[in-house]
Amino acid sequence: MRNYELLVVIQPDLEETALAEVTTKINGWVTESGGTVEKTDNWGKRRLAYQIQKQRDGVYILFLLNILPSATNELDRNLRFLEPVMRHMLTLAE
Amino acid sequence: MTNESGQFRRGPAGGRRTFSPRPKICQFCTEKDTKINYKDIELLRRYVMEDGKIRPRRQTGTCAKHQRELASAIKRARVIALLPFVASFDD
Repeated sequence: MRNYELLVVIQPDLEETALAEVTTKINGWVTESGGTVEKTDNWGKRRLAYQIQKQRDGVYILFLLNILPSATNELDRNLRFLEPVMRHMLTLAE
Repeated sequence: MTNESGQFRRGPAGGRRTFSPRPKICQFCTEKDTKINYKDIELLRRYVMEDGKIRPRRQTGTCAKHQRELASAIKRARVIALLPFVASFDD
């Protein structure tokens, strides 16, 4: 089990319920693969440095995860197909 | 000579310009508490030019080890749109 940081940029025009639904889905994937979510940090809507999918703003959510290294690429694939997530980055938390 | 960066000086051979890096200290070696982190954009912004390029070591004086960490943190920040790849002034 290793500590990872997952930073997710979500479309800004998402209402509250869909945003909560995305976070619960991500939490579900993590716990399903035998990991735990240590901390969830919602930075809220921020201005992007450049346009992503024609959007100027994005909602940033940071997850501190503790998962098996083997479960990361499966989580990455799931995130890739999650429609409201514009960009995600999974890094080792030092 | 460009005395703004104070680095170019007229060499002994007259025409040839010698390049002498100004002696500077590495911020991360002296202050031990500053951690290089791709989310900390206030710190990273000081090591990036106005147009978004990474400043070379001779301008910032950081050592090679910390410059490598700095560069990878800046590249990560660019991917998640915290820092621009090319800072365009129109938007």
